[in-house]
Amino acid sequence: MLVLCIGNPDRGDDGAGPAVAKALEGRLPPEATLAVRSGDMLAMIEDWEGFYALVCLDAASGGGEPGRIHRIDLAEEDLPGDMAFLSSHAFGLGEGIALARTLDLAPPVIIVYAVEGRCFDGGTSLSEPVAAAVAPAAERIIAEVARLQEAEHHA
Amino acid sequence: MTTKTIKVDYLARVEGEGALDLHIEGGQVTTANLRIFEPPRFYEAFLQGRSHGELPDIVARICGICPVAYQMSSVQAVENAFGVRVDGQLRALRRLLYCGEWIESHALHVVMLHAPDFLGYPDAIRMAEKHGDAVRKGLALKKAGNAILRLLGGREIHPVNVRPGGFYKVPSKAELAPLAEELKQARDLAEDLVHWVATFDFPDLERDYEFVAMRHPDEYPITEGRLVSNRNIDIDIAEYENEFEERHVAHSTALHSLLKRRGAYLVGPLARYALNYDRLPASMQSLAAEAGLGPVCNNPFRSIVVRALETAYACEEALRLIAAYEMPDAPCVPLEPREGEGFGCTEAPRGICWHRYEFEADGTIRTARIVPPTSQNQPSIEEDLAAVAAPIADAPDDVIRHLCEQAIRNYDPCISCSAHFLKLSVHRS
Repeated sequence: MLVLCIGNPDRGDDGAGPAVAKALEGRLPPEATLAVRSGDMLAMIEDWEGFYALVCLDAASGGGEPGRIHRIDLAEEDLPGDMAFLSSHAFGLGEGIALARTLDLAPPVIIVYAVEGRCFDGGTSLSEPVAAAVAPAAERIIAEVARLQEAEHHA
Repeated sequence: MTTKTIKVDYLARVEGEGALDLHIEGGQVTTANLRIFEPPRFYEAFLQGRSHGELPDIVARICGICPVAYQMSSVQAVENAFGVRVDGQLRALRRLLYCGEWIESHALHVVMLHAPDFLGYPDAIRMAEKHGDAVRKGLALKKAGNAILRLLGGREIHPVNVRPGGFYKVPSKAELAPLAEELKQARDLAEDLVHWVATFDFPDLERDYEFVAMRHPDEYPITEGRLVSNRNIDIDIAEYENEFEERHVAHSTALHSLLKRRGAYLVGPLARYALNYDRLPASMQSLAAEAGLGPVCNNPFRSIVVRALETAYACEEALRLIAAYEMPDAPCVPLEPREGEGFGCTEAPRGICWHRYEFEADGTIRTARIVPPTSQNQPSIEEDLAAVAAPIADAPDDVIRHLCEQAIRNYDPCISCSAHFLKLSVHRS
């Protein structure tokens, strides 16, 4: 299983991913691989190869309440079209997942955690509501990993 | 008189933020402006007062796609200023690292960003539904390029292993060997890519460019050479400012580079190829012929074929360098800072990347000047746009818009670099 935290710590709330990764250090079972990536989705598709499940966390801008955590199971629903996963590169999270699925390179299980951000300006740090969402997001990912492990054992 | 304005407010599949405004009056294109609104990044200013040792790591941050180009031009300038030459296997490792950047950057652009234009898809994801094999090959090529960057640079984006004088750490021959297996496969994939893109339908456009590229006595130019053009420029890189100048234009946060005496010029794959065809190995000349390329290509839309050819060349060159590699005794040569001026120029995937620095006696940077490839190509892009739009000025806006966007992507423009750059607006009157 791959736990992928996406973001750029130098672009305000886009740093949610790296901050959650830090909170997850040493707290995931050995079967789970933790990776932090800055946003090159094409490089990330390479990271997914061989994993049966992908849990990823990224900041999103949907115009909703900053700090709110969304859970999206791609087996049940698509990524919401009104939620932009920010990337300075040509391929964001949604495009990366869509491309990987078209090419049969996507893990069968993909769970996306999206933290709504407020400010993505260069050189700024996490906004207060997003900083407050880091620990709860980490706890939810730890529980998600445990649930997926359990499901894999019973499969 | 009919006035028409066509706008593309935000150009897709380019790196960074820019737009295009096209003004058409009475069926004639009067203005084609590439508007770059990426905020200025002030790199040259904040390099002042920093140590020469910090330079490659800071300039790598200018671009996530071509960081090696900035690193290589900057360390070359430091070494030039301090009177040191990096040769032998250290030089070979730098060329190998640069091959990795050419492979990952070219593969990304050819397959993921530019090919959809020729095949009529809005993006690579839709294209992958019908052309999955080609997209998989593009991803595999990008992966092979990234593997070189990871091994020699420490990581694939913004590498951290380059320093003035050489590297912080160099690989053993055994550590380099596994790359060769991946690159043999990558070379075959790149040849397939050349044959695939050669089958595309290319708009009929021949432009009379002044090509500018580096030229080396023995090599297809990547890491060093003189600056040459097809109109008799043949100068040392230190003489760049005698022939070229940068100008502010109101519609762009990026400076426009021009030939002082002749205006727009072209850098990048078409220029490198036209000025250095004789430096390509016979295998690559044969591959070019199979793809329908002669020794010179003046059709900007065919740049995708040249870019694919250069990808194959970079794979072959990387394999040659790995086969000849012997681990050097030291990862770098010693440097003694001294007051002075240094120049660096290398062939980034998009064209020449020229640097000049003045250093204090302790190696502190006094002044910096960096001229990235996309700012050099902006006037040529605008001339291409006028040439592309003129014959179809009466066509529907969507037709003009599509062809103009495709023409811009011929350049694989890196707006982020040049704003230190896309929306299309067509104004008809």
